Amino acid sequence: MDLLDNLALGFSVALSFQNLTYALLGCLLGTLIGVLPGIGPVATIAMLLPITFHLPPTASLIMLAGIYYGAAYGGSTTSILVNLPGEASSVVTCLDGYQMARNGRAGAALSISAVGSFFAGTVGTIIIVLFAEPLTRMAQKFGPADYCSLMALGLVAAVILASGSVIKAIAMIFLGLLFGLVGTDVNTGAQRFTFDIPELSDGIDFAPIAMGLFGIAEIVVNLERHLTRTGGTIKVTSLWPTMEEVRRAIPAALRGTFLGAALGVLPGGGPTLGAFSAYTLEKKISKNPGQFGKGAVEGVAAPEAANNAAAQTSFIPMLTLGIPSNAVMALMVGAMIIQGIQPGPEVMTKKPDLFWGMIASMWIGNAMLVIINLPMIGIWVRLLTVPYRFLAPAILLFCCIGAYSLQNSTFHVMQVAVFGILGYVFVKLGCEGAPFLLGLVLGPQMEEYFRRAMLLSRGDPMVFLQRPISLGLLITTALLLILMALPSFKKAREKAFVEEEG
Amino acid sequence: MNRFLSKDFLSGLMFIGFGLIALYFGQKLALGTTVRMGPGYVPRMLSLTLVGLGVLICIVAVVSGSDPVERLKWKPITLVTIGIVCFALLFERAGLIPALVVLIMIASLAGEEFKLTEVIGNIVVLSVLCTLVFKVGLGMNVYVLRGVW
Repeated sequence: MDLLDNLALGFSVALSFQNLTYALLGCLLGTLIGVLPGIGPVATIAMLLPITFHLPPTASLIMLAGIYYGAAYGGSTTSILVNLPGEASSVVTCLDGYQMARNGRAGAALSISAVGSFFAGTVGTIIIVLFAEPLTRMAQKFGPADYCSLMALGLVAAVILASGSVIKAIAMIFLGLLFGLVGTDVNTGAQRFTFDIPELSDGIDFAPIAMGLFGIAEIVVNLERHLTRTGGTIKVTSLWPTMEEVRRAIPAALRGTFLGAALGVLPGGGPTLGAFSAYTLEKKISKNPGQFGKGAVEGVAAPEAANNAAAQTSFIPMLTLGIPSNAVMALMVGAMIIQGIQPGPEVMTKKPDLFWGMIASMWIGNAMLVIINLPMIGIWVRLLTVPYRFLAPAILLFCCIGAYSLQNSTFHVMQVAVFGILGYVFVKLGCEGAPFLLGLVLGPQMEEYFRRAMLLSRGDPMVFLQRPISLGLLITTALLLILMALPSFKKAREKAFVEEEG
Repeated sequence: MNRFLSKDFLSGLMFIGFGLIALYFGQKLALGTTVRMGPGYVPRMLSLTLVGLGVLICIVAVVSGSDPVERLKWKPITLVTIGIVCFALLFERAGLIPALVVLIMIASLAGEEFKLTEVIGNIVVLSVLCTLVFKVGLGMNVYVLRGVW
């Protein structure tokens, strides 16, 4: 069977010594930044992008992927033990996880979350394997007009994830698309918005932008808020949950896994959305919802399984269609381009070793994470005692060195400073950075497909409505836009984000 | 409450501003035709849409109001930016260690607490770590201290 052959190929690639080492490195780094508040996977992956220059493509993508799903594991540890979510995706875990810890069930909460995450990660990987081929085959039928519409759908769907005003998020997409056009026009060689700066003729590198928007701006905001970490750390005794806890956790983890996996595939979805929806679902179907917030096992098992399943399945649109569904995936697309690989359906046919190797490594990485997180829990907890006044300058330093090593030029370091200021302005004005980054990465491709589609149709814009695939995608996009404008949906969406902040 | 100093109104102005800047600097780019688009066609389309969205955001903000902008604290953003710019200026001219020392010093001043002994400790640890990782480990082509190594 083809599928088994592919998997065998994947595992043979992923189990090589070099790739195992980078998977482990990625998982360790992911857990580290997951535990530490104030730095997320987006800024970390942006900092490490330059280093991946020196690595072979498969190894670098395996490492970056490890950082992403590793952060989902690490974030839950601090949520449970000190009531501080390391990542946005584990905010809900705080609600019941920390309460379980205060009731003396810290060890049980940790092991349920780790084992639930591992199970969800396994299911997520299987789903990728099953869906990758049919989706890729479908994508190969896409013409330029279809691709253009698909990107429009992806961008609009990403808006749902942005909290706050929909119209502001849409404006951020357009701003990102515009920034993406800076550089030499591919078709005519004309310089666009380069201001005679030679470094800009290749376009604005997105790594310094991501570091500025997500790294520097975040540090500045944390410094303003005077981030302090108080509150006693809870001692972990036995890691074993009771039979009763296991009995309640299993169905919750199953529901969380499938809800998270489904939401992860959607453009604009991701671990955070998955975790919130899973928690809400558990609360709704529970026989005694009063338990939630007081240490309900279901409130830990479901969102933890969901965020990990979603972290895995959000790779599907990126791997098969080349469309990133969130900011991390946008950077993964960037990492592929750095390595000279054009993301899209060709990756699977032209680079099967990379494609299947990466998928196999995700499962291996998930297994590693259980080991990294459970027996080594003490080390991670001790890291929490490092005060932020040591961390903030160190993160700044790594951003600067990372930006420099991109092309050995201090111009990129200056770019980090400029986009740090811009990111700070965005935060102060309540504008989300993620839609901007997606627009930035997709901008050049989208223009290319748009121009090609118009050339093929001899300037008739109706081509976008005449091709069935494109028409279907555009109708979906329009429906999403209408849905977001509906008062009832608006209210539900606002409520979801209020809970997130609270 | 001043409706014109709200988050939404000001972000609307920001989008209009970016749109107008792009229109101004993009005016020399050839538009071409819908069949054969020139380099200026898509940028023009995007900047016009951006200006339109900005105007819409402003109108909505004035009509229905929005949250006021939080008070800015100038110290962290200014010091962090100065720190990065100093790093960029010093890195090639003087080397990794001087750039690192200046960046960490300035960045540490941006926080609320500043204890000199702690900052020096941080600098020593990071200097050793960065030299080992970037110079020795990754073999980056950079001076650790110009004229010495």
